[in-house]
Amino acid sequence: MLSLLVWLPILGAAVVGFWPAGAPAVWPRRIALSVASVGLALSAVLAFLYNPADGGLQFREFVPWMTSLGLSYELGIDGLSLPLLLLNAFLVWIAIFSSDENVQRPRLYYGLLLLLCGGVVGAFATQNALLFFLFYELELIPLYLLIAIWGGPRRNYAATKFLLYTAISGIMILAAFFGLAGLAGIANYSYETLAVHNLPLATQFLLLGAVLVAFGIKIPLVPFHTWLPDAHVEASTPVSLLLAGVLLKLGTYGLLRFGLGFFPEAWSAAAPWLASWAVVSVLYGCMTAIAQKDMKKMVAYSSIGHMGYILLAAAAATPLSLLGAVAQMVSHGLISGLLFLLVGVVYKKTGTRDIDVLCGLLAPERGLPFIGSLMILAVMASAGIPSMVGFVAEFIIFRASYAVFPVQTLLCILGTGLTAVYLLILINRAFFGRLPAQFANLPQVRWSERLPGLAIALLVVFLGLQPQWLVRWSEATTAALVAGRPALAGALPAQAERIDTVAVRRAHTP
Amino acid sequence: MTESLLLTSWWVPFYGLAGAVLTLPWATVGVRSGGPRPAAYFNMLMTVLALVHGLTLLPAVWGRLPLQLEYTWLETQGMRLALELEVSPVTIGAVVVIAFLSLCAQIYALGYMEKDWALARFFALLGFFEGAICGLAMSNNLLLSYALLEMLTLSTYLLVGFWYAQPLVVTAARDAFLTKRVGDLLLLMGVVVLANLAPSLNFQDLAIWAETANLSPLSATLLGLALIAGPIGKCAQIPLHFWLDEAMEGPNPASIMRNSLVVACGAYVLIKMQPVLALSPWVLGALLVVGTATAIGASCVALAQIDIKRALSHSTSAYLGLVFVAVGLEQNEVALLLLLTHAVAKALLFMSVGAVILITSTQDVTEMGGLWSRLPATTTAFVVGGAASVSLLPLGTFWASIYASERLWPWAPWAIGVLLLVNGLTALNLTRVYCRVFLGPRQAKTRRAPEIAWPMSVPMLSLSIINILSPVILHELGLLTSVEGPVPTWVFGGSLVASSLAGCLVGWWITHEKLPTAWVHASFAQTWRVAHDFLAYDLYIERFYRQTIVVWVAGTSSLMAKFDRHLVDGVVNMIGVATIAGGEGLKRSAPGQAQAYLLTILLGVIVVCAYQLTTMLR
Repeated sequence: MLSLLVWLPILGAAVVGFWPAGAPAVWPRRIALSVASVGLALSAVLAFLYNPADGGLQFREFVPWMTSLGLSYELGIDGLSLPLLLLNAFLVWIAIFSSDENVQRPRLYYGLLLLLCGGVVGAFATQNALLFFLFYELELIPLYLLIAIWGGPRRNYAATKFLLYTAISGIMILAAFFGLAGLAGIANYSYETLAVHNLPLATQFLLLGAVLVAFGIKIPLVPFHTWLPDAHVEASTPVSLLLAGVLLKLGTYGLLRFGLGFFPEAWSAAAPWLASWAVVSVLYGCMTAIAQKDMKKMVAYSSIGHMGYILLAAAAATPLSLLGAVAQMVSHGLISGLLFLLVGVVYKKTGTRDIDVLCGLLAPERGLPFIGSLMILAVMASAGIPSMVGFVAEFIIFRASYAVFPVQTLLCILGTGLTAVYLLILINRAFFGRLPAQFANLPQVRWSERLPGLAIALLVVFLGLQPQWLVRWSEATTAALVAGRPALAGALPAQAERIDTVAVRRAHTP
Repeated sequence: MTESLLLTSWWVPFYGLAGAVLTLPWATVGVRSGGPRPAAYFNMLMTVLALVHGLTLLPAVWGRLPLQLEYTWLETQGMRLALELEVSPVTIGAVVVIAFLSLCAQIYALGYMEKDWALARFFALLGFFEGAICGLAMSNNLLLSYALLEMLTLSTYLLVGFWYAQPLVVTAARDAFLTKRVGDLLLLMGVVVLANLAPSLNFQDLAIWAETANLSPLSATLLGLALIAGPIGKCAQIPLHFWLDEAMEGPNPASIMRNSLVVACGAYVLIKMQPVLALSPWVLGALLVVGTATAIGASCVALAQIDIKRALSHSTSAYLGLVFVAVGLEQNEVALLLLLTHAVAKALLFMSVGAVILITSTQDVTEMGGLWSRLPATTTAFVVGGAASVSLLPLGTFWASIYASERLWPWAPWAIGVLLLVNGLTALNLTRVYCRVFLGPRQAKTRRAPEIAWPMSVPMLSLSIINILSPVILHELGLLTSVEGPVPTWVFGGSLVASSLAGCLVGWWITHEKLPTAWVHASFAQTWRVAHDFLAYDLYIERFYRQTIVVWVAGTSSLMAKFDRHLVDGVVNMIGVATIAGGEGLKRSAPGQAQAYLLTILLGVIVVCAYQLTTMLR
């Protein structure tokens, strides 16, 4: 089942890629869309069959591969990966649907999108560290090409920067895995075996540092973030959507899975610093976003701010805060995806993203009223107005993290206020006001351009009104992830408790 | 029967929301069949349903113990968030008032916004507004109240920004959102803290918890201050008050709701939170200070306004200041009664003012005059609304003020002084506006002034009748119980009427004696000018914020953006450039000549040998 989910897009990519060149150009799009639809349906079936009460791994698959290396083909999902798989399937569908129908070199384009999808699914579904690394690198190549070929004017610069950053991130991950396995004398790179070790705290810190830098680049956290605004600005809309919506989540997923999962003691000890780092990231992202003139850059910096909340929640490491972290991943995926999608439509119709140039787009007859309305909704969701999913996730995080890090949490709440400031600037400048003559004859927005935004917006509101659907998948897993550990961070757990942790984790994994 | 009827009471907030949703096809997608009117009718139908439902609930709930309705919204990992409603005479009564005023405002909007192309959008927003206010009136949970306050902030932003093509409207909408958001943000911090401290966010549970809570004075004070920040923003109290004044750029039917109901929502939440606030005497003290400062300050600011709507909106802030004082003195019934009478009177005043604006196409009182004979219905409404909002005739506010005086006197005699002062200043302000607008000579903009159409006059006159009947209604409902005190009731009544009369006389005098310019002595003129400007520009508070907080945020953010662009990204790019330069440099070392390679190898061997030798020698 999981294998099907992983290999279907990759197979689809091959089919699209080797489709006869003479055939009509619509076929690659149709195939890609149907593959994405099947993927979405499969994910839905997976969610239906998934047992939320069981926090351990489900749908496990195991095929010995290179056992001498410790590399096996191991798949399985728990409450941490399932919501992200669903998010990925949904956003990939949206991204393919909202791709330009007359895109250049369609076979390569759709093939790369599907390959990207396959890599991400693999990374979320694998249970072997080396296999994770392979999928993590696999996702890098198509994204590099997608930015470098279909990007904006400075696409080469942005794509190379992205490639270098992420390659360093990959190397650090690999180094951390090798270090952990080598120093602890573990021959098998399965997650379960890697998590059981008794390395001294200093070594753990070293390895945790590597993991933090690796995923800090991917999330991204200040000061490893500068690739993100460039990549977003240059990438085309669907790629931006996937980048913000899904690929950044690989970073936070890795942080929870490897940072917290493999090095719980070092994590607890470093938690106050991580929480402070989160504050810096949040405030830095928000403040920098206020000064941006390019809508895409503004949304990119807002991503940095919003991903900071996840670090705060991960640092607090209580069952509730981790649940909030998962919720925020989904919520940010949807909301930032929606924002990038709408900015993309505005760019396509007006030819600019500069908020000093844009004005009065909400005008009813000749402007973009529907897109403007959706934009207001997206902006308010991002600013954490209740009844939308952003509020739910942020409230859970704040509620849970306050118990552990009161000061840092209150400072992060300030970030939501600053979020309102820059997003309001965006709405006021670009959508309010009088439509100038230069934008008087904007092309019509077709229903096919409205539909993806509408779909995401409905989901944002639905999950905001019925948050139980957001958290039900992950409750058991996030509880198991920190079970047996004292909720208070900062205090080093004694050896006995650590053994408890292991025992409990074992008990939860069939 | 009664039970099952009461169990349906949670429908009430959803009527407004349903109306808003039904309107969406006309408001956003651009359905044009039947023009925008069907959208308006759907909304009005829903409001009528809400009103009828509320009226049937009222007798059922009268005299019964409050009923709690509860819906578990989110329950996970030991955290339980519930949406809780309270069905009691107070909440259902509030719902009826809200639905009635909303219906009036909607019928009124049909006339006022007749030619507006975005009528459907306006009604969608009004429906959303009404639903959120109804929900807030019934809410029995701090989180739900917070959420609804935020939704009100959002809908205020959209309603103020309704005519978004005008620059003033855009800034007004922005300021309304951001100032309220500042308050909401502090409130959110308070909610997050309380969620960690208290067992649940239910208001009754909070009250029980507050009785035994063991908080340090500092944390209790900080918590309380965070909690009152939300209502301060929502009720337009100093220092977060200037949004209400700017919000007067928005359409008038929304101003009716805003000045009567929305501001009351903030105070309503404040009343509900009162047991928690009472944990710290400093918080109650802050309420008194804020309330008194706003009551007196806003009354004075109102006097210097020439915009007819702004003159009235500042007096709204002033009355809400009185409510804050009442809550600070822990007199919640007084606060509720003041809110009720003020809402009904202020709604009527704003209807009348809206009619004047529609007919004269201006908001500047200096351009008006002599409208009384042309607009009898509007004039009547203004007189009744004005009389009902000060203690001149025995209408709503008169009785509420006596009620307040009797209860506040034992705790804080000075509060009576504030009440009298606000009353007198408001009377002065209303008389001033009345004389300028309705009396005096006609001017260019008031010469052609036909009386307004029925959709505006019908709600106006019905509300006038309600205002005139308000003492009877209040007595019938048994809300005006008297308490025996050391000071007889007639003393309060007499001084209230005296202060109103004094205010009216001064108001009449200054508009008829060409004052203040003629009366002010030349040497005194400069000071007068400064004081006048100070009040006319709303205590310069907006300029103050613009030159402190806004400058600071803008400066910091552009500094950080530069830092990010040049330093953080600069280092990265420098490493990149250094790598490339290094590669280029090393490329020169590979010229393809065997001699050069041999030399390199030789040098390498020498270095290695030298290293070996030194270590061996050591």
